[in-house]
Amino acid sequence: MNISTRHASARWAAALGVAALGAGLMAGCSAGDGGKGADGEAKDALYIAVQDDPVCLDPQQVTLTTALNIGRQLVDSLVDQDPETGEIVPWVAKSYQANDNLTEFTFTLRDDVTFSDDTPLTAETVKTNFDALAALGSTAALASQYLAGYQGTEVVDASTVKVSFGEPNAQFLQGASTITLGLLSDASAVMPADQRCQTPVGSGPFVLDTYTSNDSVVLTARNGYDWGSELRTHTGDATIKTITFAVTPEPGVRTGGLQTGEFDMILDLPAADEKRFGTDEFTIYARANPGIPHSLVPNTERPIVSDPAVREAMILATDRAEISELTGSSKVPPATGVLSSATPSFLSQKDALAYDLKGAEKILDDAGWAVGSDGVREKDGEKLSVSVTAFYGQDVLEATQAQLAKAGINLKINMVTAGDFFGAVASKDFDFLGAGLTRTDPDVLRVMFSAASAARWAVVGDTELETQLATQAETADPAARADILDDAQKRIIDDAFLVPLLEVAQVHASQQGVSGVEFDSSSRIILYDVTVKG
Amino acid sequence: MSAVLRVLRYIGPKLAQFVFVVLATYTVVFLLITFLPGDPLLAALASKSGGDTIVDPEALDRLREQYGLAGTPWDQYWHRLGMLFAGDLGISIATGRPVGDMIARTLPNSVEIAMIALVIAIVIAAVFAFLAFLAPVRWLRNALLQIPPFGVAIPAFLTGLLLISFFSFTLGWLPSSGSRQPGSAILPAITLALPVGAILFQVFSAAVFEAQASQHVFTAVAKGVPPRRIFTAHLLRNALLPTITILGLTIGYLAAGTAVVETVFSRDGIGRMTVNAVLARDINVIQGIVLMIAAVYAAVNLVVDLAYGVIDPRTRRSGRLGRQRARVESTQEANA
Repeated sequence: MNISTRHASARWAAALGVAALGAGLMAGCSAGDGGKGADGEAKDALYIAVQDDPVCLDPQQVTLTTALNIGRQLVDSLVDQDPETGEIVPWVAKSYQANDNLTEFTFTLRDDVTFSDDTPLTAETVKTNFDALAALGSTAALASQYLAGYQGTEVVDASTVKVSFGEPNAQFLQGASTITLGLLSDASAVMPADQRCQTPVGSGPFVLDTYTSNDSVVLTARNGYDWGSELRTHTGDATIKTITFAVTPEPGVRTGGLQTGEFDMILDLPAADEKRFGTDEFTIYARANPGIPHSLVPNTERPIVSDPAVREAMILATDRAEISELTGSSKVPPATGVLSSATPSFLSQKDALAYDLKGAEKILDDAGWAVGSDGVREKDGEKLSVSVTAFYGQDVLEATQAQLAKAGINLKINMVTAGDFFGAVASKDFDFLGAGLTRTDPDVLRVMFSAASAARWAVVGDTELETQLATQAETADPAARADILDDAQKRIIDDAFLVPLLEVAQVHASQQGVSGVEFDSSSRIILYDVTVKG
Repeated sequence: MSAVLRVLRYIGPKLAQFVFVVLATYTVVFLLITFLPGDPLLAALASKSGGDTIVDPEALDRLREQYGLAGTPWDQYWHRLGMLFAGDLGISIATGRPVGDMIARTLPNSVEIAMIALVIAIVIAAVFAFLAFLAPVRWLRNALLQIPPFGVAIPAFLTGLLLISFFSFTLGWLPSSGSRQPGSAILPAITLALPVGAILFQVFSAAVFEAQASQHVFTAVAKGVPPRRIFTAHLLRNALLPTITILGLTIGYLAAGTAVVETVFSRDGIGRMTVNAVLARDINVIQGIVLMIAAVYAAVNLVVDLAYGVIDPRTRRSGRLGRQRARVESTQEANA
């Protein structure tokens, strides 16, 4: 190196300066302010960060939470359900009636409802929708369960329809209030499944403007909307003009964006961030998913699982308060029943589900399961070791595993893909399943436990429970049905057919200036009444 | 005539290599997705329907037919290969959309950040190599040379989040996510560029210092040629060859890097689509993407091969005559 040192230093410094300048210029291309209004001023745009790409926007086909949250703004349903009381109220149908054994449902429709393509919503539309859904079958997995036993829809007159089922369908009326049975225009309903995903046309307060996969969904308010259900707080057009759902899978980016005001609202707030956004500057929204909590679902045809003492001990040895504290939202109470507290007809079995390690140990001792040298119990040379198959919620299962180990029960966690999970369900190749099932109606018990159900998970083989579940499904009288459901919930815990672990909650957060966000009965958000202050 | 023949003789084997790479990739991917345990159809359906998936054997058989999953593996292999030649990549099981359309939608987004990243990486490599070349003291040069291992060692995931929290959340200069706002490609491109730039820098600087030790540079220094002129005229061209080779290989790195970067920055693109497809075991999409990347990879390396000829004339001549000449020249060089 014979280069003059003085010269080189000067050049080196100059080059460094140029590099730094370049970096500065690049970074200086600053972003716009996203059209945000001045402080305190009302804005007509709502910017929401969501976790998942909705993939499909047809409310009738989707089951992904994000897609349902978007779909709720696009379609109206025949009826609405009060999330507090579970009461069904009119919406697109101004009145409705079910026959005594729940096989026929008659709806009288409002005559002023139109779709965003300006076609009217008529009795014929309802028939077209349900017929199309029945034809889609398992492509619309959830809808086909609400329409189980569907025989046909009769157009009685221009504004009256009668929906008939071959067997009693207790969950249909409630199902008719969900996003899944929300109504699409005649033209949309008859499209092939894949096309419906891209451009669904509904009668809701918002209209799909653009959908960019893995990026964003933009909705604009519909002009002339005036048929919200009585549960909404205002009438007429939606208060905000546009909603942008920004697909943002990284939780840290969602929370950071909320903190800095880049997002007005974020869905799926991680439990760990609840404290940080618990201040006056932000609002947290939380509601438990209705249905069956995250639980251990048994297959009683398996050797050890078939022993009621083992299952009973597992219920007592799980500390649901601790699981909730470790893995769940602080906004939702620990699980206290076989249904979540947000489900109609929920029966709290707090006492039966109280944590009682001593009691669990006693049951196992009495049943002949003695503690072995490695801390795991055994009987006749067989270890008290069972496995749980799951495709999400590993943290919940790990907390459970640690608790059960204290009672000498070895729980092996078998995390698989969603596909393999349902493969195991189909072939009954599992000891326990680790999952919950979200449904708004208590009929979810039948869906999960009845051997006759197409979406059955649990294998319990209990004739009395089977009868109870079948009877509640054909009982129209609410009080009588509630009694049967109470009995069924008691029976499930008495015979330890389910080990509830955690009530899974929908937790969202927004800037303090956002108000009017409501949950519907299935814990999806309704944005019709939302106002935003800058 | 003979000129055309010569070009063909040079390009021919390279084209055959290209076709072989793509075919071999197809076969390997096919074997992998066919013999992995589990049912891809069920996996993709479950990823769509979640807890509400219905397992009905008859319906599954119907869908198997629809997505080209019916028949023995042998039948499927040829059936899919036939479709491939017809330009048909099949239909995504999880989304129901044609795979070709999905790739056409996402590819431009990924290419955008990959190209910006590549440019940034080259600039980083060149600037740092130049700085190291000029570094007046040994410790400064050594410090600069230690940067690349550091750049490679930091995971893109972390760099991305750090950049977001600094430039988006603290300074508010650039959008944190999506591709909706202007300037949204900058942070992801920088994230992707750092490790690539580090690799390029390592190769480039090594080549520069090797060339610096050669006699013609010694002569230039002795003649009093200014350092910048030495760098551009005498070192750059010599250092380009190994760098260009690495450039071809970085395409694979860029393709893999987009998976992380697109997730962190919430952008639509090939990488994110790959992650989703793998999670859903959406085999038609996985196969489509892998084939597409293999084709791009093979094509870039084909271009790199051809670029050698432009940068270094000795590699251009093919055939016996060319080789003889090259040999003669190299002998002369050795003698000189």
